[in-house]
Amino acid sequence: MALIQRSLFRFIARRGVATTESAMATHSTVPKMKTFKVYRWNPDKPAEKPHLQTYQVDLNECGPMVLDALLKIKNEQDPTLTFRRSCREGICGSCAMNIEGRNTLACLCKIDTNVSKQEKIYPLPHMFIVKDLVPDLTNFYQQYKSIKPYLQRSSFPADGKEVPQSIEDRKKLDGLYECILCACCSTSCPSYWWNQEEYLGPAVLLQAYRWLIDSRDQATRQRKDMLQNSMSLYRCHTIMNCTRTCPKGLNPGLAIAEIKKKLALSA
Amino acid sequence: MFRSLLRANVARSAMISQGPVRFYSPSNLSKTAISSRVIDVIKSFNKTDASSSNPTEITMESSFKKDLGLDSLDTVELIVAMEEEFSIEIPDKVADELTSVAQTVDYIKDHTDAS
Amino acid sequence: MAVRKFTGLQRDVLHLYRQWIRLAFQKPSANRQNFLNYIHLEFHKNRDLRRKDFTTIEYLIRNGQKKLKTFQNPNLKNIH
Repeated sequence: MALIQRSLFRFIARRGVATTESAMATHSTVPKMKTFKVYRWNPDKPAEKPHLQTYQVDLNECGPMVLDALLKIKNEQDPTLTFRRSCREGICGSCAMNIEGRNTLACLCKIDTNVSKQEKIYPLPHMFIVKDLVPDLTNFYQQYKSIKPYLQRSSFPADGKEVPQSIEDRKKLDGLYECILCACCSTSCPSYWWNQEEYLGPAVLLQAYRWLIDSRDQATRQRKDMLQNSMSLYRCHTIMNCTRTCPKGLNPGLAIAEIKKKLALSA
Repeated sequence: MFRSLLRANVARSAMISQGPVRFYSPSNLSKTAISSRVIDVIKSFNKTDASSSNPTEITMESSFKKDLGLDSLDTVELIVAMEEEFSIEIPDKVADELTSVAQTVDYIKDHTDAS
Repeated sequence: MAVRKFTGLQRDVLHLYRQWIRLAFQKPSANRQNFLNYIHLEFHKNRDLRRKDFTTIEYLIRNGQKKLKTFQNPNLKNIH
């Protein structure tokens, strides 16, 4: 019995080695070259028009995500390629960009392994560009700030401890608190493209809703009043690009509809 | 209260012109006084032909562009220097239309009261 | 001579330039020339842009406004 086990083990071990060797052999003989076309624009030469630059990456030597490919290009081919990245696991929202026509996070987006197709990468659409794939999010953050995204209360518990919340009330925040403010949804929204200065956009409105329905918040009246005008909220025409593109699978379109309902019922 | 405002104004213009202290109150500046101060500002503005080794004479009719050789940006700079000298603010729309010494003097004459 | 009217974009550039020059006058007079030198340099860098290169000019105006905001901080008293 022991003998059988040992020989079996040896067999598996040998096979294991054999597989690795043959895999390595295929790697070195048949590189899987994928073509990436990346949007480039350099602010130091403002008169030069933006263009697409082509890079070739061997997918056998590269991680599975688009961010892996971008990092590989930056490390090995072109250190001037500029993009934002941080967590590489979809929680920081830094690497939001337009990949193959869809706003998403480069770290959550798999490279299409079909090497006969090129992969086009642009920055988030309709935003001013700082450089290459880096959009200027100043206005976006300013709008986020304008909805006062924090707990507003006039009174606090006498014991100086936290403000409690029931399990049901906490449940209402699910699907809202997960938003990482990557701006994918807002920059996919045509209404936001045309009225960026005044329309808050899906991401910020989702957050506005998150604070509106928080059972602990006491500024509901002011929050509603702030949205009660033709631009801030009502530029949403339920196009639903936001929900379709959200890399976290959230539903800003629904949140906006809920705000509209709340305003309609309370007015 | 008005007097303190006046004093502040005189002190300001004296500081900027750097010449002998002039005790004009803004409300009753004569046209000749304004003209001479305007011309002083132009002379001290080191981009005009008037400040070169072979100075062009500055008259009321001098045009910033044709006679003094200023481009549009220089003119903007000169007008801001005027604003500082007279402690006024000239709105963009008006400032873009000022093209000669005479126009500038007229504008200042009409608007120093307001400051 | 008829007064040549500026285009909207040219007006924007002049407006930006005016704001910058006014800024220089708000800084300590001893350092004013440093600011003026900087302003002259920055504007002269792009002096030869084609008049119709709208996107570039618009970008430069936007960028200039942004920098202006930074420079308007009263704690910023001198540049080198």
